[in-house]
Amino acid sequence: MPSTSTQRDDLAALVRDTKAAASPLRTYLKELHERLAAVRDGAPASYIPELAIANPDWFGLSIVTCDGRSYGVGDCEQPFTIQSISKPLVYGLALETHGRDYVLSRVGVEPTGDAFNSLIRLDEKSKRPHNPMVNAGAIATASLIRGSDSTDRLKKLLAMFRRYVGREVQVDMSVFVSERTTGHRNRAIAHLMLNFGMIDADVDGALDLYFQQCSVLVTSRDLAVIAATLANGGVNPITKERALDAQYVRDVLSLMYTCGMYDYAGEWAHSVGLPAKSGVGGGIMASAPGKLGVGVFSPPLDARGNSVRGIKACQAISGDLGLHMFDGTRDPSPLLAK
Amino acid sequence: MAKIVSIHSFRGGTGKSNLTANISACAALRGRRVGIIDTDIQSPGIHVLFGMDEQHIDRALNDYLWGQCSIEQAAYDVTPSPVTDKGGAVYLIPSSIKSGEIARVLREGYDVGRLVDGLRGLVEHLRLDCLFIDTHPGLNEETLLSMSVSDALAVVLRPDSQDYQGTAVTVELARRLEVPRMMLIVNKVPAAFDAGAVREKVETAYGVPVAGVLPLADDMVRLASAGVFCLRFPDHPLAGQIRAIADVIVS
Repeated sequence: MPSTSTQRDDLAALVRDTKAAASPLRTYLKELHERLAAVRDGAPASYIPELAIANPDWFGLSIVTCDGRSYGVGDCEQPFTIQSISKPLVYGLALETHGRDYVLSRVGVEPTGDAFNSLIRLDEKSKRPHNPMVNAGAIATASLIRGSDSTDRLKKLLAMFRRYVGREVQVDMSVFVSERTTGHRNRAIAHLMLNFGMIDADVDGALDLYFQQCSVLVTSRDLAVIAATLANGGVNPITKERALDAQYVRDVLSLMYTCGMYDYAGEWAHSVGLPAKSGVGGGIMASAPGKLGVGVFSPPLDARGNSVRGIKACQAISGDLGLHMFDGTRDPSPLLAK
Repeated sequence: MAKIVSIHSFRGGTGKSNLTANISACAALRGRRVGIIDTDIQSPGIHVLFGMDEQHIDRALNDYLWGQCSIEQAAYDVTPSPVTDKGGAVYLIPSSIKSGEIARVLREGYDVGRLVDGLRGLVEHLRLDCLFIDTHPGLNEETLLSMSVSDALAVVLRPDSQDYQGTAVTVELARRLEVPRMMLIVNKVPAAFDAGAVREKVETAYGVPVAGVLPLADDMVRLASAGVFCLRFPDHPLAGQIRAIADVIVS
């Protein structure tokens, strides 16, 4: 009989793990994984050498529910760099630091319909990049992160990631160095923004932090936990730690909804109907508010820079589990029953 | 009707495997397609009651768990002739009795999710009306998983203080795992005990219905697992009691 709180926690964890292993949702994910593993379209990102060496067969599929249940199949523990999926999280950190009004004055919230690396779509009149999900906006957002020096800023960034994923995260140094030495386009965007007075003078500092945030190593399970944290009002459903001030969750999720999938955002919002963010490392996370978070990792990308299997997985999960935010015709899926 | 039924006891020696074989046979005698899976990987044994020995077991649950065969390939048709006459069927999925394979499971473990898939797959592929799981005594991963996918759980206990304590642990976990239906079977009750009093005591103690109170029967002991008692001695009073339990479980 449980007597101490530790024993009760152990028992609760055992019961939770057993239920997760026996859940029809795990069986569903396994079948979905088998089906999508056969998809051979796309190719890993090649714009930096470190990403091009990813194994195209890697495929991890994870779901974490807002009540803390965790399901995963395939390469769920394979680390990869988070890339652009870091953008909404750093945007949240900027909001916590400066408040909504100031951040809005520095970075807009308007979708561009352009590709992730689009160069010149800078709104010169308003002196701000269109949104925090394209590279220009993300670099401007990184420039808003405060700290005594670059180490301090990095520490703040890593502490934020730790709150989201529930463990210490690392920056992949070889990817960081690779991004830093070959990121001419991003460097050009940053200098253009400096020229227009959109960011402060410390361009290199902002770029370094941006390259570091993109080079943080995560797993598909981590992405599911992050997405579930956002779906859960900013509180990590497993550690119960708050990762984002509750008032800014709506900002982050609405930006993910309108801008998270680059020039695929409109079709995504229509067909999948969930706030999501993809990264060229092969990751995609999607949040079903109040329900769950999805994390997918599969390096082969389509022409728009989104993971091919990742998109198919999110489409299937949203459809099969009835997660589209504006679909009022669906009953709760029995797959989500406890 | 219940599809997946775990039969469990917290301690060994309660007669769990013997009862599982007999209850399964009785259910099959009602014309049902029944499966029995031995998830007692560490100490398998139920195959003996169906006359199987090491030579007869080509593929076992172990092979499936290691991804070396499908779950149906580890299933043996052991339908006894009286069951065939009634239109029923009995399939057995044994665990390996080879010491090396038992050691390998203990050392290497296996993907527990695969066990769950296997249990559900068996019901589907063999078109089973009912799958009985003969679990490992006590609590381990297989047992917890078996319970959590089961539509019903029968816990076997003897009228013994050690069994009483252990059963409380099993009942608590089964409640936490939200097993839809639970029942107790008190087995090996000495002739001197009042069966009615035992039933009342146990039901009150656990708040779980008692499906049967079975006597310690010399005839069963004498058979010594050389066959399925209810098939050998269908007219024995004990066989009648086990049939009644089977009817309760599959009702």
